[in-house]
Amino acid sequence: MRITEHPVLGKLEKKPVTFSFNGKKYEAQAGESIAAALLANDIRILRYTEKHGTPRGIYCGIGHCYECRVMVNGERNFRACITPVKQDMQILSQHGEIL
Amino acid sequence: MTYDLVVIGAGPAGMSAAIKAAKAGAHVAIIDENPVSGGKLLGQLYHEPDSGWWVGRNIAREMIAKASSLGVAIFRKMEIWGIFPKWNIMLNNGERLTTEHVLIATGAAEKAIPVEGWTKPGVMAIGAAQTLTNFHRVKPGKKVVIIGVDPLSLSVAQELKMAGVEVAGIYPPPATEVSSDKSNPKQIIQGLSAMAHLAPNALLKAAGKAANHPTIKNIAAKCYPSFGVKVWGIPLHLRKTITAIEGEKQVEQVRITAIDGNGNQKNGRTKTMGVDCVCISGGLYPLSELAEAAGCDFVYIEELGGHVPLHSPELETTKDGIYVAGNITGIEGAKVAMAQGELAGTAISSRLGLLQKGSDAISEAQVKVQDARANAVITFQQHIESGREKLAQCWHTNVQTSSGKG
Amino acid sequence: MDKRTEICRCEEVKLGEILNAINNGAKTSKALKLATRAGMGICQGRTCQPVLEQIISYYTNQNIQETPGLSTNHPVRPLSLEELAGNRKDL
Ligand SMILES: Cc1cc2nc3c(=O)[nH]c(=O)nc-3n(C[C@H](O)[C@H](O)[C@H](O)COP(=O)(O)OP(=O)(O)OC[C@H]3O[C@@H](n4cnc5c(N)ncnc54)[C@H](O)[C@@H]3O)c2cc1C
Ligand code: FES
Ligand code: FES
Repeated sequence: MRITEHPVLGKLEKKPVTFSFNGKKYEAQAGESIAAALLANDIRILRYTEKHGTPRGIYCGIGHCYECRVMVNGERNFRACITPVKQDMQILSQHGEIL
Repeated sequence: MTYDLVVIGAGPAGMSAAIKAAKAGAHVAIIDENPVSGGKLLGQLYHEPDSGWWVGRNIAREMIAKASSLGVAIFRKMEIWGIFPKWNIMLNNGERLTTEHVLIATGAAEKAIPVEGWTKPGVMAIGAAQTLTNFHRVKPGKKVVIIGVDPLSLSVAQELKMAGVEVAGIYPPPATEVSSDKSNPKQIIQGLSAMAHLAPNALLKAAGKAANHPTIKNIAAKCYPSFGVKVWGIPLHLRKTITAIEGEKQVEQVRITAIDGNGNQKNGRTKTMGVDCVCISGGLYPLSELAEAAGCDFVYIEELGGHVPLHSPELETTKDGIYVAGNITGIEGAKVAMAQGELAGTAISSRLGLLQKGSDAISEAQVKVQDARANAVITFQQHIESGREKLAQCWHTNVQTSSGKG
Repeated sequence: MDKRTEICRCEEVKLGEILNAINNGAKTSKALKLATRAGMGICQGRTCQPVLEQIISYYTNQNIQETPGLSTNHPVRPLSLEELAGNRKDL
């Protein structure tokens, strides 16, 4: 899903880091958001809702909607769309309670 | 910490204001919840008729460098949750900044269009697709459809295509209680022809031109081909809509049905198309919650995009010392936001006694805002000028009644 | 719109529930919030508020400017005590 070549923006400089999502290892680009890193690995489901347990993913992409909340290194409620992914980050999809 | 000016939002408006005031000698802080400053600039990418490619992330980078070199304190990854008199700016890490002058430059948010199945992963607001593609360089999907025909969705369609994403079609939203004009082919054509004349984007321009052609204008809505018209290789549909987004856990397909010239669904018959991503473009509205919580007066002006804080020609709200600039005052492009930021930065510097000829500088900055508006290549609201006039009128009335009272 | 279409994503409120509330007299976004929780979710209405205003306006025949839609109060963002105490680790 990565755009490695772009007619205006040019070639993508590779700066790989590794992280885990729900226990599995993936590769990301340093500095990109958690949501972008997951999507680049074809993962869209970020959490399950409180009431009905239905899956949710990125919606607004800029921090407004809070749909993309994930657990990072043991803490809940980081917005995946505006939280940069880091080397060895442990990310889990959230279920249930909000705060 | 105490500052002369605290700017909330590091988009083009906030950054320009911070730079202007810091240049004049003010002690400025700028705060944003994002890890990278630049606001909506970061995702922008389009070709300008005179100056070539507008690459928002590069412009953001230049502004960040300038602000840093002028000693602006840049706070990243910090949400502002409140503004209390007079004025205490509350950060979500428990920190508090004190200042006499606040600039709220929180930009815009997207209006949603609820469509059956729109909560499934793979459905996203058009802005998310833009940021993913141009900033993060990740495809929002392999095969994408767009719901909503407007300047922003057409721009993003072309950006997606440029990045190698298959855009399988652009469709008006189904006619519902919340989308009437956006679902009406006649109104869509009228809107496009009004807004696309200077468009920086080939797709938008082509659509605008076609829509402006007298014959097409009259008959387009009625005779628009049911298979759509390909613009820049992307099928633009006006006689079909998407009634549902389906998939077990995430988006797998959309359900498509035919509509008449007024947007009404013709018969119950539908067909499906496999896609993995749906982008919804419902337009933008000013994100003004902080101004509201701070107690600023508001007006609702449709032409500006919704509820906006009432503000003076110098961009001050009805709360002493609280200013607004950029999309919070009405939905316009980045260059207008920058000019407004400079105006606010100038007005605040003048109030701080940092400018020798303050009122001249303010008038100059006001002219620049008007120029930027007149030369804008991208317009989001059809009657922005008249919206601005309405607001000026409201301010005038407000000043009269409040001075009458005092 | 289909009555099952979700309107408030955060609180998972469907159009049907909103129409019921309107029929039972909730004619402002505040009343609607109290009746259905629509607009009361973690995004504080940023996603659904404009839609709620349009729905109220449509079903009650009022112009949007007449519906006192705005009802934002502090805090405008969700806060956790952890964060406020400055205990949240910077990632
Ligand atoms: C999806 C989308 C696409 C667009 N595309 C174009 C385009 O192609 N060309 C164009 O000219 N214009 C475009 N625009 C219009 C765009 O809004 C303007 O170009 C410009 O970016 C507005 O500048 P601004 O400074 O007012 O706000 P923004 O650029 O939106 O910046 C506001 C900043 O404030 C931050 N913020 C908001 N609330 C808080 C808070 N409580 N705490 C901390 N930080 C906060 C936000 O995170 C954001 O970074 C687009 C807008 C959107 C929404
Ligand atoms: S996708 Fe909306 S907050 Fe992250
Ligand atoms: S969508 Fe309704 S409160 Fe968030």
